[in-house]
Amino acid sequence: MMAAGAFLGGATSRLLPASIPFRFFGAAVAYHLLAWLALLAGAQWFPRFEAGLGWPLAALHLVTLGVLVMTAIGASLQLLPVATRQAVRSTRWPAAIWWLYTPGVAAVALGMGAVLPWLMAVGAAAVVLALLAYAALLAGNLRGARGMPGVVVHGWAAWVCLLVVLATALALALFWLGVPLLDRATALALHVAFAAYGFMGLLALGLSYILVPMFALSAAPDERLAIASCGLAVAALALAALAAFGVAPQALRVFVIAVAGAAVALHLWQMREALRKGMRRELGRSFTLVRVGWTMLACSLVAALGVVLDAPLGGLVTLFGLLLIVGWLLTFLLGILQRILPFLASMHLARGSKRPPTPSSLSAERPLVVHFSCHLAAVAGLALAVVAESPPIAALAAGVGALGAAAFGVFFVTLQRRMRASARPRQTAAPPVA
Amino acid sequence: MNFMRQVSQVLDTEHRASLDLLGRVEQVFARAPRAGAARDPEFASLAAAFGRLIEQDIARHFDFEETELFTRLSEAGEGNIAALLREEHDTMREVAGEILPLARAAAAGTLADSGYDELRRGALEMVERQVSHIQKETMALLPMLDDLLDDQTDRELAFAYASA
Repeated sequence: MMAAGAFLGGATSRLLPASIPFRFFGAAVAYHLLAWLALLAGAQWFPRFEAGLGWPLAALHLVTLGVLVMTAIGASLQLLPVATRQAVRSTRWPAAIWWLYTPGVAAVALGMGAVLPWLMAVGAAAVVLALLAYAALLAGNLRGARGMPGVVVHGWAAWVCLLVVLATALALALFWLGVPLLDRATALALHVAFAAYGFMGLLALGLSYILVPMFALSAAPDERLAIASCGLAVAALALAALAAFGVAPQALRVFVIAVAGAAVALHLWQMREALRKGMRRELGRSFTLVRVGWTMLACSLVAALGVVLDAPLGGLVTLFGLLLIVGWLLTFLLGILQRILPFLASMHLARGSKRPPTPSSLSAERPLVVHFSCHLAAVAGLALAVVAESPPIAALAAGVGALGAAAFGVFFVTLQRRMRASARPRQTAAPPVA
Repeated sequence: MNFMRQVSQVLDTEHRASLDLLGRVEQVFARAPRAGAARDPEFASLAAAFGRLIEQDIARHFDFEETELFTRLSEAGEGNIAALLREEHDTMREVAGEILPLARAAAAGTLADSGYDELRRGALEMVERQVSHIQKETMALLPMLDDLLDDQTDRELAFAYASA
């Protein structure tokens, strides 16, 4: 609890210039819309999509690289130094990473969608370089961390997973260029598990130990349980890697899902207790999305079991990917993002201000209402499209998702405008970083 | 949350009571503005309770924290948190200055419909600032008091606060 208190108390003096985290969040908001549009373009292939170049793969990477990782970079570079009581380090490096990473993601997505392997390779090179630089910054933040061991352990585990993701991404990109570095099925299995459950999943679970108690106004979860949950997740990932290399694949994968299930159950139990004991019960629409995301995380493991046991259900692999990437990670992240953006904006504006604006005065409620309905309808529609093997339903769902993403964009633009309007009278604002 | 010191426990109890009332105020005002709400007896009763909460917070709770606790926090090297909490008190005093006359008028049933919107805007701002402030105090100030106060100082401060 002390660490969380220090997080709130010392936060304003440890903030990066607003232009740094918000450029990552802004790019994520834009890629969110592009992802739904790419899915709309590839809707006819979506219900049975498993792998291969085309617009569904582009949509997938616009979500993973463009929204999830983009947000993770901005959030972790801002939240970790604040939560672990460190001074802000470099501001130039995060800015440089953004300039390399953002066009890199665009090139990867366009290369995949338009089936241009050379463009995809150029984009992948930029993305890998940017993420290596990010990994170096993240390692610096984690090395200098004081307190919050549960969060730091999750951070290190995510860091190792990021390296595995980068190595397997390179192997997959080289495969498309005709240079097989690693068996494709092995590389793909490692890439999916270490990207979604590993890097993004562990970062999401780790940062939840800061954010959920903070918003619910509850005591921080027991560090030992947080570390135990992380340990189980890491064990599951290590065993999944063995299975990917062909060691008793089916039996081991069933065991992996059981261990991962235990990790998730332990994490969700801690989150439920934090919410149950929290002094703030009514957490609004954003936490409904967070709860839906948690449910989808559990559902993704059930779907994974179906895939491993070769259950007789068409499109199960697609359904698994949908539950994991859109149902769990994207839904959870959008719930947290709509909560953290006004909060962070308000903290930035509090510096040197006599009466800083409240988070709700910077937020925009109506676009979030539209986004909430559209996002949930789109996820349900995509699941229905898979089950019914229906491209028209997939197209309709993607259209509704795009409408929701546009509404989320309106929320973000409104927030930016209100931030600028509130900052204008002051002369003390930090200058933007290139 | 369990706190060891009497001072922390008393402040935590007040925070919980405040959060309960603030939640009710938020629910009433978060709805669309209602014509004639300013003359509703239930609304008048809630406005009276809200007004009392603000007056009590500013006159007693804030003053006690600033005089007895923030100073100790600063001396213990936590000047950042103390300064932040003090700034938030100042901001809430400013908001309170704007809405207290309106809340008193609403409690007396004399608030004009035109004043309702202003009270609603100010009350929602006050609720948000109070909740955020209680959040910080619960997570930062109260746990630190467990380490900062010895048994005797804790007893003396708790007695002084109860008598204030």
